[in-house]
Amino acid sequence: MKKVLMPLVMVAVLAIIPYVAVEFGKQQYLFGVVIPYAAAVLFITGFIYRIVDWLRRPVPFRIPTTAGQEKSLDWIRRNPIESPHRAWEAAARVLSEVLFFRSLFRNTRAEQHKDTTLAYASDKWLWLGGLAFHWSLLVIVLRHARFFFVMVPGFSDFLDHADSFFDVTLPALYLSDALALAAVTFLVVRRFADAKVRLISLPTDYFPLFLIGGIVTVGILMRYVVRINIMPVKDQMLSLVNLSFAPPGEIGSLFYVHLFLVSVLLVYFPLSKLMHMGGIFLSPTRNLCNNSREKRHVNPWNYDIKFRTYSEYEDDFREKMKKAKLPVEKQ
Amino acid sequence: MRIKKMLLLIAVPVLMLFAVVAFFRQPGHAETAKAPPAPVAVDSTKCIAPAEYMRANHMQVLYAWRNSSVREGNRVYIAKNGSRFQKSLNTCLGCHSTNRLFCFNCHMYANVKPKCWNCHLSPMETP
Repeated sequence: MKKVLMPLVMVAVLAIIPYVAVEFGKQQYLFGVVIPYAAAVLFITGFIYRIVDWLRRPVPFRIPTTAGQEKSLDWIRRNPIESPHRAWEAAARVLSEVLFFRSLFRNTRAEQHKDTTLAYASDKWLWLGGLAFHWSLLVIVLRHARFFFVMVPGFSDFLDHADSFFDVTLPALYLSDALALAAVTFLVVRRFADAKVRLISLPTDYFPLFLIGGIVTVGILMRYVVRINIMPVKDQMLSLVNLSFAPPGEIGSLFYVHLFLVSVLLVYFPLSKLMHMGGIFLSPTRNLCNNSREKRHVNPWNYDIKFRTYSEYEDDFREKMKKAKLPVEKQ
Repeated sequence: MRIKKMLLLIAVPVLMLFAVVAFFRQPGHAETAKAPPAPVAVDSTKCIAPAEYMRANHMQVLYAWRNSSVREGNRVYIAKNGSRFQKSLNTCLGCHSTNRLFCFNCHMYANVKPKCWNCHLSPMETP
């Protein structure tokens, strides 16, 4: 219980800090300018540090996990995606992983029945929930481009239209808002519902879920419930994008809660499991070609071993071998 | 088994939330049953509130006007200083439509596009 409540309390405290500081302490400049910049700098440097660190680790051997026939003789049908042979096949596999969570689609679940038999079955719920979660977050982030550009880019406008397709409520409900909230609820409930998952879940699993849930909730409150004035928000975001240190205008405290939680997320990002965003591209079990039989991969830190071939051996001992009547290859 | 439990865990609170919201929003619950006040004519000679307030809060005002006038039939707005206005876009646009870009200057900049003009005539379209 503690490992659920602690992150929950942490997120609640993190949400209250900017509210109190802005409402009663008039700390608009700190929370509207200083902290977002600091968070952005920490996020970018931290992200690059992590990726460069991982890129520098040598990967001497091919260790792709395969689930299909590798390239062999011509008349054996091979599986290019499950056992990639060329770089573009491996790239296709990584992309299908990133965009559609391919390996999670194969997720299975073990369950003990009443008569103590163990049964395995396909379990697509995590795949579906994860897909809804990640895609709706992506759409939400891309939609936010309307705050960062004076001329709103076309993709953001398009997403805006598609996302508010059903045009219910005023302002029109974004499907991705509802989906993100439902998906994050599912992902939290999933960790409670099963004893095995509950056992292996850590505070670091709950914290990002609660944090993202908090960000989404505050965003929804700003748009649909409080209906904050968006003009100073856009002014402020444009000024941040232009690297200006101008003080923010008259914006509701709820906006600072949203911005501060996003800043926390940015700082937390490189320090946490959220780095799977960059790490998935570097996972050697996914991004390597399965071509060990075709190409010799030499471990780069091997000693320079002096090999002695048989022909060299024979050159040294030919005369002695002849005397001892041993067969030699060269006379 | 587990999926059923999970669906229940999600569905029950959501349904309860819906039930509570539906209960409080049912017509007649919140003292709206009394007869609406006498109608007033459209008067665009003065603003219903200071410009500074309207700039930041016109969306809340229009949202409240839409709900109370269309759904509850109460078309009279009593301003802070006691003067009465008809809850109608015509009250606003009687004066503000002199500037064709009155709405659009800011709404284009902030990229906020409520669907007012699907039904109403926008200042762009008025002759």
